[in-house]
Amino acid sequence: MVTKTEDTQLNRLENQVDNGGGGAWEYLCLIKKLKVRRPEKVLKYGLSILNDSKKRSSLGSEEWTLYEQVSIAAMDCQCLNVAKDCIKVLQKKFPESKRVARLEAILLEAKGSWTEAEKAYTSLLEDNPIDQLIHKRRIAIAKAQGDISGAIELLNKYLEIFMADHDAWRELADIYVSLQMYKQAVFCYEEVILAQPTVPLYHLAYADVLYTLGGLENLQTAKKYYASTIDLTGGKNTRALFGICLCTSAIAQLSKGRNKDEKESSELHSLAVTALEKDYKNTAPGKLPLLTAALKSLKIS
Amino acid sequence: MGLGFVVGVVGVVILSHAAYSTIQYRSLLKIMEEEFSGPPMNVVVELLLGLVLCMWAALTVPGNFLSIKLDTDENRMVSLPGNLDFMIFNHRGKVFSSEMDMKLKI
Repeated sequence: MVTKTEDTQLNRLENQVDNGGGGAWEYLCLIKKLKVRRPEKVLKYGLSILNDSKKRSSLGSEEWTLYEQVSIAAMDCQCLNVAKDCIKVLQKKFPESKRVARLEAILLEAKGSWTEAEKAYTSLLEDNPIDQLIHKRRIAIAKAQGDISGAIELLNKYLEIFMADHDAWRELADIYVSLQMYKQAVFCYEEVILAQPTVPLYHLAYADVLYTLGGLENLQTAKKYYASTIDLTGGKNTRALFGICLCTSAIAQLSKGRNKDEKESSELHSLAVTALEKDYKNTAPGKLPLLTAALKSLKIS
Repeated sequence: MGLGFVVGVVGVVILSHAAYSTIQYRSLLKIMEEEFSGPPMNVVVELLLGLVLCMWAALTVPGNFLSIKLDTDENRMVSLPGNLDFMIFNHRGKVFSSEMDMKLKI
């Protein structure tokens, strides 16, 4: 998870490295720790470390993980020669390793030789049928080929065995959202929130899907989850504030006449509006008239 | 760090001295054949002083407190990690294949 402090640290290091200020290794370590995807930078700075024999030997055993990181980044940039060379070095060092074998199969994927990659994964699975990473790669192959329904099927089969894998649930939710199968996506996000209840971004995504589904009950749940996002972020998530505004106005539209808890809802609306206006005044005063116009068009009576 | 550690050691020494004094006091009482009604004043003072010093050292030596509130900067999530286990490679990076002609020197 990337917290605010880590995010600022990452940006600071990125600036520093881009301007030639050194600290490339710390930057690469942070990228690996936070699991962010910056293939070009990893390739550039990782190679500059690997090509400098003095710097490389000062890493000690970390050298090999850097080779792995750079090779994956190179595949992401389609610099397949670099990836191949990195894997060759790793192969020489660890001839029997499963991890290197997996990298080789990923290289086949990057080349686009799907059947060969599939074959490699199948033989790796024969040795170790519960290797989660390889199961995930097979799902990724199906996705990369555009076979989304096949990916869903594999992912569901995978989740039957590894139910606690929230990353897989998140992936499945993303796929369902991309196919506009919101009911299924809702279920997946529920699983994700169950596994990691303190991550506000999952609450936000869940609320978004519920709001998209529509209907009074869903809108009310969505409003609750937008509110919990605000609770978890201390009101610093603009999207959740907008979500509250949209939900309250949509609920008001739907439940016209049956004004049960209207007072509470309009109170929440005005609170969200105040927070938004304050936020915009601080960070983008030029956009304030746009915001007020947009919020005025939402009817809440 | 150094100061806090020394203070902690002093606190422990004071506490053990208080324990030692109490034992001595009780054996003295046994010789004088009096009933034990409570620890003497100097032991109580030593105990309190040792308690304060040890507590201060225990709070400062291990480092600063971490925030447990969810909305502070250290704990507030701003972005999710890329789901790298499921990464796929046929994206626009293929079309924009970088001008960098890099090579790994072996």
